[in-house]
Amino acid sequence: MRLVPRIFGQALGLVALSAVLAFAVNAARPDGLPLAQAAAKPAPSAVQLSQASGEIALKDAALLFLSGRAVFLDARSQFEFQLGHIQGALSLPPRNFAADFQDIKPLLAGKEAVIAYCDGPDCPLSHSLAKHLIDAGVKNVYVLVNGWSLWQAEKLPVAKGAAAPISQTSQAPQAVQTTQAPQAVQTTQAAQTVKKGKASASKAKGQEKLCTDCTN
Amino acid sequence: MHRLHQLMPVPARAADFVLRFALALVLFYASADKLLHPQDFAAIVTGYHVLPEALVNPVAIWLPWLELLLGLSLVSGYWSEGAVTLTAGLFAVFWVLMIVSAARGIDVNCGCFSTKPADPSAEPTPMLFYIGRDAMLLGLALFTAWVRLTVAAEGAK
Repeated sequence: MRLVPRIFGQALGLVALSAVLAFAVNAARPDGLPLAQAAAKPAPSAVQLSQASGEIALKDAALLFLSGRAVFLDARSQFEFQLGHIQGALSLPPRNFAADFQDIKPLLAGKEAVIAYCDGPDCPLSHSLAKHLIDAGVKNVYVLVNGWSLWQAEKLPVAKGAAAPISQTSQAPQAVQTTQAPQAVQTTQAAQTVKKGKASASKAKGQEKLCTDCTN
Repeated sequence: MHRLHQLMPVPARAADFVLRFALALVLFYASADKLLHPQDFAAIVTGYHVLPEALVNPVAIWLPWLELLLGLSLVSGYWSEGAVTLTAGLFAVFWVLMIVSAARGIDVNCGCFSTKPADPSAEPTPMLFYIGRDAMLLGLALFTAWVRLTVAAEGAK
């Protein structure tokens, strides 16, 4: 039957002709689509930080914390830091800035935000630290106002004890966020179980101990 | 030809034309909105998650033109055997795509006849409706193809 080759020939002709027409018209029309590039862009991040440094909302800070896109710098004293701090945070009181910044600087590279915090709505330390950082040329510096209180109030992951040596702390946020953060939020008991059960993971975090309500 | 006469109360050539015309109307209607809004149609194609990114735009550009040309071919009768076969194949692909999307749990914007997003306040159209509608269109296309090809084969003898 000659019908089958005819069908194939016509179908091919229609496909080719429509393609030629389509791409010619697409090239000519002002709202034509780019050929190489997909129309859909990846979904924008839920965290929309202003380009300029400034204050950051707790929700944004928590999201960046979970995805490991931020470094948290604790502006309070070493003593308060040891009593409890945001998990993975680094201690950098403004008065030690000149001495400690060089050690901390490499850890800020590649992060979307550097978040300074202290405690209390009027605490000046975080703003002072942010100013030091900006003066030192650090980009994307944000202040989480009343950070420590807000963080605890939301039962977000915290740690206590002295920070691990800086060489180890750089790994801490990643190790924590995937495996331990959810449990650590629950209760102090849960935190203890985590501590016992996952000794190897705790070891990676140096001297830090997990807790949820470090002030008690 | 003999069987066709037994099945249909109208002359086969008349049935052939009416069916082709109906199918062409569906194709014209389907292509119009996509031709006008290629950007929106590309977003719909993306939503099906079956094509690699690089192919989304080319397909979104080409498909409405293919539909338009198929419609023109069906109405005019030029290359209509190829057109009717291709249309049936196209509708079969669309139908399978709807079923696959439903099975994957992707509540896609059909994008069959309109590129506009569904009214969020309205009750969402169940995927089963689209699958049923596409099945009917596929049925129409297959029937048209059968009639057209039977008439063509008869004419060739």
